[in-house]
Formats: sequence, C-alpha cells, structure tokens
Amino acid sequence: MGIDRVEPSDAELVRRVRAGDTVAYGALVSRYRDRLGRFAVHMIGDREDAEEALQDSFVRAYRSLARCDDPARFGAWLYGILVNRCRTTGARAARRRRMFVHDAHALDGAAHADQSDRLDWTDAVDRALARLAPDYREAFLLKHVEDLEYGEIAELTGAGVSALKMRVKRAREQLQKYLREAEHV
Amino acid sequence: MFEQDDETVERVIQHLRRPMVMDPGLDARVMREIARVPSPKRRARLLLPLLAVAAVLATVLIVARPWSWNRASKTDVLQFVLVAPQAASVTLVGDFNDWDPVRSPMQTAHGVWATVVRLAPGRYRYAFLVNGVEWRADPSAPAAKDDEFGTPSSVVTVGGRGS
Repeated sequence: MGIDRVEPSDAELVRRVRAGDTVAYGALVSRYRDRLGRFAVHMIGDREDAEEALQDSFVRAYRSLARCDDPARFGAWLYGILVNRCRTTGARAARRRRMFVHDAHALDGAAHADQSDRLDWTDAVDRALARLAPDYREAFLLKHVEDLEYGEIAELTGAGVSALKMRVKRAREQLQKYLREAEHV
Repeated sequence: MFEQDDETVERVIQHLRRPMVMDPGLDARVMREIARVPSPKRRARLLLPLLAVAAVLATVLIVARPWSWNRASKTDVLQFVLVAPQAASVTLVGDFNDWDPVRSPMQTAHGVWATVVRLAPGRYRYAFLVNGVEWRADPSAPAAKDDEFGTPSSVVTVGGRGS
C-alpha cells in the first residue's frame, strides 16, 4: 500500500552522470558524504583536512568516472580514491610535523604532558588512533569501522590479505596498550 | 577507567562507528568544482569540432578532386580518399598497380582513409578494397561501366583525356 520511493542505484546515477546529468552526481555525493567523511576524519585526525580530502576525492572521481569499470560498485571505487588521498594528506602532515619537532623524545614528553590533562573517552580513543602507524590505522578502520571484507580492503589498498590481517591484529593490540596507558595516567 | 583487551577494542569500534555528519556545504563545493570540469558528455562534444574538421577536409578533397588540378604536367600526383570510419584497413587497387592490394595501402585519420599515387596521363579504373574483402567504388567519381570483373569500380582520367 502507498507509494514506495525507490532511490536510484549507484549504477543508474553513474549512467546518468556519464550521459551529462551533473545533478545526478550531487545525489552520489550526498549518498557517500557522511560515510566516507567518517573514514577520512578518523584516518587523518583533523576535520578540516578530512573535508578537503573528501572534496578532492569526489572531484577526482568525477573527472575519472569513465574509468569506473563497474558502476554498481561506485562506492568501493570511491573508497579507493579516498584511501589514496588520505595517505597523501597523512604523509604531508607527517612531513609538516617533522619540520617542527625533530626530537622524538621531546615529542613523547609532550604527549605525556598532554596526558596529565583529564581525558575523556573520546580524547583517549582519538589519541590512541593517532598513535597507530598509518597502515595499521587504515586497515583497522576499513575492517572494523567501515565493515569491509579483507578481500575488498586488499583491492582498495593493494596490500595482501595476510598482511592486512596482521596489521589489524597489531592495531588492536596497540589500541589496547595505548588505552591502558591512558587509563593509568 | 577502561575495560581491558578485546572488550576495550570492541568499545572503541562502537565509538568510531557512530554516524558522523559532515558539513553539508561540502556538496555545494563539490558541485561548484565539477561545474568547471567538462562532463563526460561535454568532453565528447569537445571532440566533435575535430571530427567535423576531418569530415570537411575529406569533403573538400572529394569534391575538389585535387588529382585533376595538375593536368598540364606529364605525371600527376593524385590523392585518393575514402571515408570509412568502421574499416580496419583500406587499400587502393587499380589499373595503375595491377590491382595489387599490397602496393597502395591507405592511411587513416579519424576514419578518413587516404593515399597518394603519381600517374602518367591516361584513363584508369580503380576501386577500394576494404578490410581485404569488400570492393567499393569511389562514391565521388564516375563508375566504370566496362568493368569485366563484376565488382564495383570507378574511373579517373589524368592529363585531359576523357573517360
């Protein structure tokens, strides 16, 4: 009974965009904005940089839409673009940090000093996540937060499945360790 | 403060999975950016002028028939042209090359096939062999009425002697 509104599929929207309907791309942006944005924020650790990476990924995807072999899997294809973009942003941010802090011990000291502040759960998680190596963080987020299968993650990242499993395992161990440390501060 | 081990990680996961609302203004920024990018269809439209130029050039060559310009000279340089966008290969065959499909291969640019040959004054029958199997007469030249081979062919006259 009643009227069922059926959202157009990704494949249908991609077909429309390829036929010149730019507005259809707006529907794809709106569909994936928040989900991909969450990954970018967790991965990069800075909301402004994450939004820039996300915006750039959407524009890159539009420019390269002809190379999206399977429009039904537009979302996965877009993830791949964003993952690469986040890596670039992360590497740039790391270089920026190195320009200002050359002493690793000084950096550790600063982190401990920060931890003397009262931590709430959100802060603790953010800090623990930020301390993971980027490839551990990437694998952990894609597997456990974005709920992708290892095969899909392998396609997106170019890493082998066993390497990814190892990264996720290490990420879990390190998160536990960092959060235990935070608990005892 | 925190639970230990796997329970802790599960709690982290649930925390990170909470929906996150990004700035809705991002949509407008993306759409503004892509408005500056030619859409796939607009990109195809940009190619059309190039194709149009190729088509006009082909038409000029066919209509003007430059092989009839140098009639005063003892040998004329003639350019033969065929528009065949779907063809994989085209060769020119005629009285002047013993109907040998190897001697006058034609080159293509955007589906317009062309080759140049130097001919002494005279009357020649010729045809195009498309993909090695299909005989085609020149649509812009008189048809040869005396072709004994049963395949379409055309006639070109060099040096003013009639067909």
